[in-house]
Amino acid sequence: MLRRIPIGYRFLTPLAVVFAAVFAYPFVYSLWLSLTNYTITRRNETRFVGIDQYTGLLDNDTYRQALVNTFVFVLLAVSLELLLGLALALCLQRQRWARNVTRAFLLAPMFVTPIAVGLMFRFLLNQQIGVIPEILGTFGLEIDFFGPDLALFSMVAIDVWQWTPFMVLLLLAGLESLPKQPFEAARVDGASRWLTFRSVTLPLLKPVIVVAVLLRALDAFKVFEYVFAITRGGPGTATETIQYQVYRTGIGFFRLGEAAAMAFVLVAVVLTIVVVLFRRLMREAT
Amino acid sequence: MSRPLRALFLVIAVVAVAFPFAWVVLISFKSRVDLNDPSSLSFTPTSANWSEVLHGGVLEAALRSVEVGLATVSVSLVAGTLGAYAISRFKAGGGPARFGILLAQLMPPAVLVVPLFILFFNWNLRDTIWAVIAAHLTFVLPVVTWFMIGFFDAVPRELEEQAMIDGYGRFGAFRRVVLPQVLPGLGAAAIFGFVLSWNDLFYALILAGGNAETLPVAISSYNTFRGVELGAMSAAILVSVVPVLIASFFVQKRLVRGISGGGLKY
Repeated sequence: MLRRIPIGYRFLTPLAVVFAAVFAYPFVYSLWLSLTNYTITRRNETRFVGIDQYTGLLDNDTYRQALVNTFVFVLLAVSLELLLGLALALCLQRQRWARNVTRAFLLAPMFVTPIAVGLMFRFLLNQQIGVIPEILGTFGLEIDFFGPDLALFSMVAIDVWQWTPFMVLLLLAGLESLPKQPFEAARVDGASRWLTFRSVTLPLLKPVIVVAVLLRALDAFKVFEYVFAITRGGPGTATETIQYQVYRTGIGFFRLGEAAAMAFVLVAVVLTIVVVLFRRLMREAT
Repeated sequence: MSRPLRALFLVIAVVAVAFPFAWVVLISFKSRVDLNDPSSLSFTPTSANWSEVLHGGVLEAALRSVEVGLATVSVSLVAGTLGAYAISRFKAGGGPARFGILLAQLMPPAVLVVPLFILFFNWNLRDTIWAVIAAHLTFVLPVVTWFMIGFFDAVPRELEEQAMIDGYGRFGAFRRVVLPQVLPGLGAAAIFGFVLSWNDLFYALILAGGNAETLPVAISSYNTFRGVELGAMSAAILVSVVPVLIASFFVQKRLVRGISGGGLKY
């Protein structure tokens, strides 16, 4: 009996079973929930409402603000992380002295649980008891890092602190596995460092950069801990993000149907971006 | 960039990374009175914060986090490695299988947490580590599988054909010839998966915020608006940071090498 199943599928079975149980089933369930008015406190009144939850989101200003905030956050954080990460990876690759210690140090933040990072910076940057505002104060600078104007950018800065190491890790691994010949050829031709970087390193590294940016962006869309630890979406709606809003709507107010719809809108948008990006990359590759 | 400039850049980066850690260490030894003056360096160190934290359930939470991480990674490694081999070698499941893995990776936890919450609520599994393990599988399993597909793609096919000529069966060739080839990658994927599980707050907070709290949840419970908890919170943060930092010192070389072995494909 077992022999009749193609070998590939025998290897695939454990993955398929676990995947179906923990991912596919909840996913479909969630999709169904988003089409109902499921509320924990009024479970008996649950009924199918079609796309009402989705159309309701169109008029929800806080939700729109959360979408905008999330995208601004992802765009800024990932671009900064890529630039800084690339610069650091290039430096680390050519470093000789204290090589392993430096690497271990610079990779450290990505291993720290994000809630701890959020809390650390909440108090480092706090206006009354934080050390950074106090140091800036001695230079006459008064900055409220979690005020309405700066709060979102402070979140970006914290994300950059924690996740640039991830970029460094992937880019460094990429740099170290590049073939040697093109670089020797460039040196023989007398190409300047900048020219070598632009026309040899960057094109060769591009696949790695794409993967790194993709992984980081997908993760940044899930930003929750910093908001939860520091601002709880405030001041006003300045740092409201999708993930935090789903948490509040679903767990705080028990409106699980609406929370599911909120999450799916984000999925649709992210999926569209990824598919468009992939199509373009595939076309470039051929 | 010239050499001194590169060195300067690295020094700045190291300071930027080290400063917050150093400051939290400092705060964790300050008494409540000394905390009112954030930048003062002259104070009498106290261990009160540390003993409060170590007797306050943080260690139990850390142990629970380790259990959750190990269970999640073990299941992911077994199912993910076998599955990745099937997808890489036999094109099992075809395009949909690969797409499913990618889809799972970009799924925000917000989508899955709602149904998981209801299911565990109905099955009376809320507030147990089983709920957290199942939830962590939703993101660790796809990442591990995705990594492993890349590693298997990089193993030359001739290797296992030779093994089968030498008398190994399909599974024997996989276990004795292919698997050793991807071992560094397997290690990197395991470390990566464990870190993801260890760091998660969202699922753990919602599915098991009470009796089965993991370390991130325990740390977040020090998050009050009263400044008086600052010292204890710093100590709690360090409990979560120190073991991981020590581990990262040992694994960073392996991680760089493991990932450059072929985990970076799309």
